[in-house]
Amino acid sequence: MARPVRPLPVFLNLLRIRFPVGAIASIAHRVAGVLLFLALPPLALGLDASLRSEAGFEAMRDLLSSPWRALVGLILVWAAAHHLLAGIRHLLMDVGIGGGLAQARASARAVLVVAVLLALVFAAGWLT
Amino acid sequence: MRLFSGQRAWLVQRVSALLILLLLLVGGVLLLFGPALDHARWHALATGVHVAPLIVLFFAALSAHAWVGMRDIVLDYIQPRALRLAVLSAIAVVLFAVMVRVLLTLAAHFATSL
Amino acid sequence: MKLSIYRFNPETGEPPRMQDYDVAPAAGDKKLLDLLMRLRTADDSLSFRRSCREGICGSDAMNINGRNGLACLTALEGLKEPVVLRPLPGFPVIRDLIVDMTQFFAHYHSIKPWLIAEEPPPERERVQTPDERERLNGLYECILCACCSAFCPSYWWNPDKFIGPAGLLQAYRFIADSRDVATAERLDFLDDVYRLYRCRTIMNCTEVCPKGLSPSHAIERIRIALLKRSS
Repeated sequence: MARPVRPLPVFLNLLRIRFPVGAIASIAHRVAGVLLFLALPPLALGLDASLRSEAGFEAMRDLLSSPWRALVGLILVWAAAHHLLAGIRHLLMDVGIGGGLAQARASARAVLVVAVLLALVFAAGWLT
Repeated sequence: MRLFSGQRAWLVQRVSALLILLLLLVGGVLLLFGPALDHARWHALATGVHVAPLIVLFFAALSAHAWVGMRDIVLDYIQPRALRLAVLSAIAVVLFAVMVRVLLTLAAHFATSL
Repeated sequence: MKLSIYRFNPETGEPPRMQDYDVAPAAGDKKLLDLLMRLRTADDSLSFRRSCREGICGSDAMNINGRNGLACLTALEGLKEPVVLRPLPGFPVIRDLIVDMTQFFAHYHSIKPWLIAEEPPPERERVQTPDERERLNGLYECILCACCSAFCPSYWWNPDKFIGPAGLLQAYRFIADSRDVATAERLDFLDDVYRLYRCRTIMNCTEVCPKGLSPSHAIERIRIALLKRSS
């Protein structure tokens, strides 16, 4: 039998794979991390502006006034909340807490839900 | 530890995470308790001898943490050598610039407040 | 029962496709493998590995309705139809549900999956206390079916460099063994950005292990062992 000329196919269609809740929490952790990385330069510039002058401070505080910026803010609050909570989950696992499958599933679900809730609470705070 | 020890990066990630958590708690306490935050209070607080170094430490921890995390993402998804190097360099430049910006900002206000 | 199965024949040169089947289980058919065997009497071109048909040999690992598992341990009852069968994700497909496990076993061999003991063997066996033996539980049972490694995103992205959950569970099986004297070298080998530290504790491995083992826990133990050693 002749050796196949073309490379062998690989099945890796992520849409056809049923991911456990831990995997969802994990990829969200990663996406949130990238968003927070992207937020670092604006954060450093914001620190500068807020210290530079009274007007700069006010501008930073009123940053969320337009709906567009509020949306960015909402996403960043979610990212920070999810990344922090998922990070604490991993740190606890490092010291031997919650590494069992049942607990890990429960904590992954909790992180996913609580992060979204926190973002919504913040959003409600801005709107009132 | 060897050059390609994975443990160092893993440790940096964990230690910086703990530092970030701790400093967020400290920051939260400082900002939430006390009078309403206006520019004068914020300026006094952020450029004070106690808090300014903590802000620098916070950004240093953020940068270290972001470096390990972004590097992991690059190692996973970007395989071509040249592209990998380019993206890693870009990430390093951004983080370096953030650190320089924060240091310059605080140094300027620190100098005037002395 | 309706099935949809991944078909690939390297000799035709055609890309892989999904083929639908409808087969009625006989009275004695309890597991997915029973049904696959029945199916093959109708279509003998359908290829898959199987041997012991009771979850010991680890040959019939495949992606069943989006999750990796052993066909012989997957009950027909409760399976959502159509049952979608694909080869293990991330592994090169040789034919239909048969994948190339060369790299997977190369990683397994790289961790030196044998007891390293320098002293000459004693008259009888190398004895362990019950406590020392207890530490191997949850590790030695691995059947190398590759369900875990083929469900691990870190392994998908770096299959050539990351040892993967199966290999790392086996690595810890020998690190944890009181009779093994090569712990230091084993840890040296594993302390690497790729080999061990690609793991992000996603725990997909533990989710799909048909033997109920926890590679993610073994990996955690290796990280702790490395930490203890360097402090």
